[in-house]
Amino acid sequence: MQVVVELFGIARARAGVAQTTAHGHCLGDVLADLAARFPRLAESCIAGRTLRPGFTANLGGQRFVTAQETALSEGDTVLLLPLDAGG
Amino acid sequence: MASPIPGFHSRYLRIDLTAGSGEPVPLAEAFLRQHLGGSGLGVALLLKEGAATADPLSLAASLAFVFSPLVGSPLTTSAKFAVVSKSPLTHRINDSLASSGFALAGKKTGYDAILLTGRAARPSILVIDDGKVDLEPADEFLGLSTRETEQALRGRFGAEFQTATIGPAGERQVSYATISHDGRHAGRGGSGAVLGSKNIKAVAVRGSHRPQWADPPALVELARQFSQKSFGPATAKYRELGTASNLLTFNRLNVLPTRNFQQGSFAGAAAISPEELGVARDRTRSSCAACTIGCEHLYGLRNGKGSVRLEYENLFALGPLCGIDDAEAVLEACRRCDDLGLDTISAGGTIAFAMECVERGLLDEPWLKFGDGPALLQALDLIVTGDGIGRLLALGSRRMAHEIGHDSIDFAPQVKGLEIPGYDPRGLQTMALGFAVGSRGADHNRSGAYEVDFSEAVDRYNVGPESAHLAVETEDKAALMDSLILCKFLRGVFTDFFKESAEILSLVTGWEVTAEELRQTARRIVTAKKRFNILAGWTPAEDTLPERMLQQALPDDTRAQLSADRLAALVRAYNLARGWSPEGWIPEAE
Repeated sequence: MQVVVELFGIARARAGVAQTTAHGHCLGDVLADLAARFPRLAESCIAGRTLRPGFTANLGGQRFVTAQETALSEGDTVLLLPLDAGG
Repeated sequence: MASPIPGFHSRYLRIDLTAGSGEPVPLAEAFLRQHLGGSGLGVALLLKEGAATADPLSLAASLAFVFSPLVGSPLTTSAKFAVVSKSPLTHRINDSLASSGFALAGKKTGYDAILLTGRAARPSILVIDDGKVDLEPADEFLGLSTRETEQALRGRFGAEFQTATIGPAGERQVSYATISHDGRHAGRGGSGAVLGSKNIKAVAVRGSHRPQWADPPALVELARQFSQKSFGPATAKYRELGTASNLLTFNRLNVLPTRNFQQGSFAGAAAISPEELGVARDRTRSSCAACTIGCEHLYGLRNGKGSVRLEYENLFALGPLCGIDDAEAVLEACRRCDDLGLDTISAGGTIAFAMECVERGLLDEPWLKFGDGPALLQALDLIVTGDGIGRLLALGSRRMAHEIGHDSIDFAPQVKGLEIPGYDPRGLQTMALGFAVGSRGADHNRSGAYEVDFSEAVDRYNVGPESAHLAVETEDKAALMDSLILCKFLRGVFTDFFKESAEILSLVTGWEVTAEELRQTARRIVTAKKRFNILAGWTPAEDTLPERMLQQALPDDTRAQLSADRLAALVRAYNLARGWSPEGWIPEAE
């Protein structure tokens, strides 16, 4: 199953891309796929199949999710972004 | 006088500007333990002065520069001070914070706070040299920008003095004028107008009094650990990208206020994002004194006009809020606000409101259009000269709406008179509550409720009363941080904020402080601000949002919709969670 991943802030800076695709049936699968392809992203944002502290994910701009078992559907958009929104 | 408590001088300097003299006033240990420093101590001092019932620009008004027990300690980000007064913009409590050398030098004058009352007979520089008070003529500095004033004062007094200055906006008592130091600003609520009303162009401080710490070796070790952690991932966003990196995130989540809150996303966001600016322009970093984070990112202006510090709030207010995607115009507007001494959020919010009034035919200023960079710059200049529409703009959006009439108050972007920062509350509904109940008005620094919305704890589009305690928790944390004082950008470094804060305060003061005591202290400080507001005339009706936000969904995200009833239920739940009456009154026992 393929999903679109949009990256923001530090996640974008580490991956070097604003958007990519990833494969998996759940958030953990997608994070593991990203970690394998973007080692610098993994160093800062992903530990195995989970998000590191300070980062969160969002489905389609609507719902924030962090649990690795969060189910995904074909064509979903996953946003990867820093947790801290202060400014 | 008894020996000062470690971390404090146990006295403040009360200066009567009319008489041109100051007197030390002792601060009892119990009073300091209840209110700490910064915002907490400042509000307590102002309540003692009876400042809540005075006109904020009158002779009787008070303004306090307040330091904290941690200032001068080796703890990272602790070089901060609060400026506390009644706001001329909101007529409610106003506590604005700024950073750097003024905090360090101010505390070394030998006082925990410097409280000003009365009015100098002529425009003056207030000089406090190791506690000795003097007023010197300021005529040669009048009209100078904040930056020019600071440079000129360094030339006159020498580098050992640190100065807090107002710009031309403060001199003219613009309702949202700032007090500036070293490129940072006590920005919100118009403390610069209060200082201007007292005929003080700048305050210059120097001193040699360092308070003791209760356990220096342990404090140094703890500070070392915090500094180490502050280099880690919890602060990477601030260090590497700066707060401006919020822009594209908020745009994607449809919570980026655009065209006076008519939309939640902006088509031109990418063009003014730090990701784009960092490619096209020189970028440098800077930090406050005693800070290991270094969040400041400065971007170069064209044609050798120097560089300007860019924060998310400046960027949103002078960019999308006014519909402007011309990066050079936005950066120049940021620079101009800094130099003139204008709060960027209120300046951008008021101008965006005026642009919508023009669009609706309520104001006959056809040049003032959304998306027009030169018009934005012209409007900023007019605010300070007071010419043309500048007189209205200088009042802020609430008073401007009252003069314009025609129900324009319904779309004036303010709460209690303070312009709303860059979080659309319809799509961030815990933050909507935080804005509505904020003691100084719509405020992202005194309530961090957006953190709740950016989590799994709530559905940000449909927040219920059961979540009110989460807003209370973020407000309490902010009250404590603003009174210790530590920078909020450090908050991700804490594992257990109240417990670790208690450890820090114990090492500085020698008090056996617990996390529970600090929770109580934070609540006391929030309640003290509420008490100030009640004395100043607060009523429950003002804990709300502009009517438009309660009537209309965001057109680009129809789930982002609030209603008056739902917000009222949140406010009621918040008041009960605070132990107040459902309407928000404080029980007499407190």
